[in-house]
Amino acid sequence: MNTRVIPCLLIKNRSLVKTEKFKNAVYIGDPINAVKIFNEKEVDELVFLDISASIEKRGIDFGLIEDIASECFMPFSYGGGIKSIEDIKRLINLGVEKIILNSIAVANIKFVEEAAQLFGSQSIIVSIDAKRDMFGRCCVYTHGGRVKTKLHPVGFALEIEKSGAGEILLTSIDMEGTLNGYDLELIKEVSGAVTIPVIANGGAGQLGHFQQAVQKGASAVAAGSMFVFHGKYKAVLISYPHINEVRKLMG
Amino acid sequence: MVLYNSLEEYRVCKYCIMDTSDPEIIFDEEGRCSHCKRYFHIAQERILPDDELKIRLGALVEKIKNKGRGRKYDCLIGVSGGVDSTYVAYIVKKLGLRPLAVHLDNGWDSELAVKNIELTLKKLGIDLFTYVLNWEEFKDLQLSFLKASTPDLEIPTDQAIIASLFFVASRNRIKYILLGENVVTEAIMPKRWSSGQSDWKYIKNVHKKFGKFKLKRYPYFSFFKRLYYFYLKCHVINILNYIPYDKNEAIDILEKEIGWKNYTSKHYESIYTRFVQGYILPKKFGFDKRRAHLSTLICSGQMSRERALEEIAKDPYSSGDLKRQDFNYVVKKLGLTEGEFERLLSLPIKKFDDYPSYASSSFYRIIRFLELNKTIKAWVQMFLGRR
Repeated sequence: MNTRVIPCLLIKNRSLVKTEKFKNAVYIGDPINAVKIFNEKEVDELVFLDISASIEKRGIDFGLIEDIASECFMPFSYGGGIKSIEDIKRLINLGVEKIILNSIAVANIKFVEEAAQLFGSQSIIVSIDAKRDMFGRCCVYTHGGRVKTKLHPVGFALEIEKSGAGEILLTSIDMEGTLNGYDLELIKEVSGAVTIPVIANGGAGQLGHFQQAVQKGASAVAAGSMFVFHGKYKAVLISYPHINEVRKLMG
Repeated sequence: MVLYNSLEEYRVCKYCIMDTSDPEIIFDEEGRCSHCKRYFHIAQERILPDDELKIRLGALVEKIKNKGRGRKYDCLIGVSGGVDSTYVAYIVKKLGLRPLAVHLDNGWDSELAVKNIELTLKKLGIDLFTYVLNWEEFKDLQLSFLKASTPDLEIPTDQAIIASLFFVASRNRIKYILLGENVVTEAIMPKRWSSGQSDWKYIKNVHKKFGKFKLKRYPYFSFFKRLYYFYLKCHVINILNYIPYDKNEAIDILEKEIGWKNYTSKHYESIYTRFVQGYILPKKFGFDKRRAHLSTLICSGQMSRERALEEIAKDPYSSGDLKRQDFNYVVKKLGLTEGEFERLLSLPIKKFDDYPSYASSSFYRIIRFLELNKTIKAWVQMFLGRR
């Protein structure tokens, strides 16, 4: 099986932004044009996360998602501000292939169960945002990294699996946007505990990082900065590795 | 659709392919137009023999290197992914200069453009800075120009490019901005087709009249900013005028050595530019910018008139599918419905002079007059500490 390499794009007030460790959102342009460019680069799939929806308690920007869907010729997932089954229904009707749940999954795992039953496991992803404390202990966060929970990523991952969700998007808050590589320990622990696919996210800066994540058990890899920034000044320039490069690396 | 001044008959120049789609075109008794005559006039002054060019280029490079000594970069280049700017990047590295590249992202980049930029800069080892325009704001400005109904729809981008270059140059204390504008492929462009790239007053006024939001983050190039950069001694140099520039040769080199890919037409690296030049201008304003580009190539001996005529007879869009696709995309991205867009296209045609600009302001007329007066110009330069 080929490893999926997924650009993970962050949205804030209809704009594309890029954060570092979930902070300092930098404006990087119009999401629609980014989608158009990724289309032509023949990307496997795209992930969109609205990072302000939960924090600002705003609803989902369905208009934007409709625009994205009409321009996006590849499967794409959406997460951010989802509060009800009705929301999911509407998103799927607009053409979103997979729904990503975060804050609501932590608050109420029963909701994930219900969603997975209604829409099928394959269309429900639960995202885990994990951050380490000064002793290296890992903890799950919600609301864009602002709210700390008592959950441990592995324990939560097991719950997610039991609830019937089809995939886990595992993001390391400490590594996100740093380009220094994934939190490999975290990937190893979580993917070792569950049987459902784990998408590694947060920290990729070069192709070698993908390889490392896969070796630790990730089924797919996601990255943000690496695909939107170029060079030492982090100049905004969208790129995506050629399929042959990825194949050569992953074997 | 206005093809040409309907009182006069349709005419094409006997030497180049400029025609009456420029209402200001003048023909002589032999049937040659004012544009190609002007070209040769400029060429005589500005296109120098090869050995003379070599000397001038050598001196220029020396000066740039000297001024930039001890600094991280000695010059700034703009990159769009197109032939001219990519060739500038190539040449500048060949000359041993240390450039910093700037790209203006106006939200319309094509995949080919970003790929070309990525390849070029990686291959040549040039650092990049991207100036990203705020899309919601810029959309408002582009819509204002559609509402203003003037043919210079791309002016908001042109202005932002030059303003962002100066901004990055001054922030990095770079004294030379090297651009790809050139005589041999670009000298012909009717005034009525596009004016005011550097006229901030014009842009500001059009936006004031038709825009909805305030322009807070849009980089502009006002008269006072120009004075400031003048004070900073920031120079703009069209480096391709310092070499014998042959477009086809340049394309060949870039394809072979960099893996750069060519476009179907000039300036088609941006989707909006492609749509403006390939659809809006011919349909609404009755002219085709390729006519000017091809005519310049005829004049500079880089293309035969027959080839140019064949070229201009083709639809600017290589396929109807692409045209439809671009149409839908542009309408959606500008946040319009098809009906609203068609309504904008059917507004009566206006021209540059219909809006207030630096060109029409008496204050700036005086300033320009002063600039023309050699003694006063020298005095101003002395006053500003510039030789």
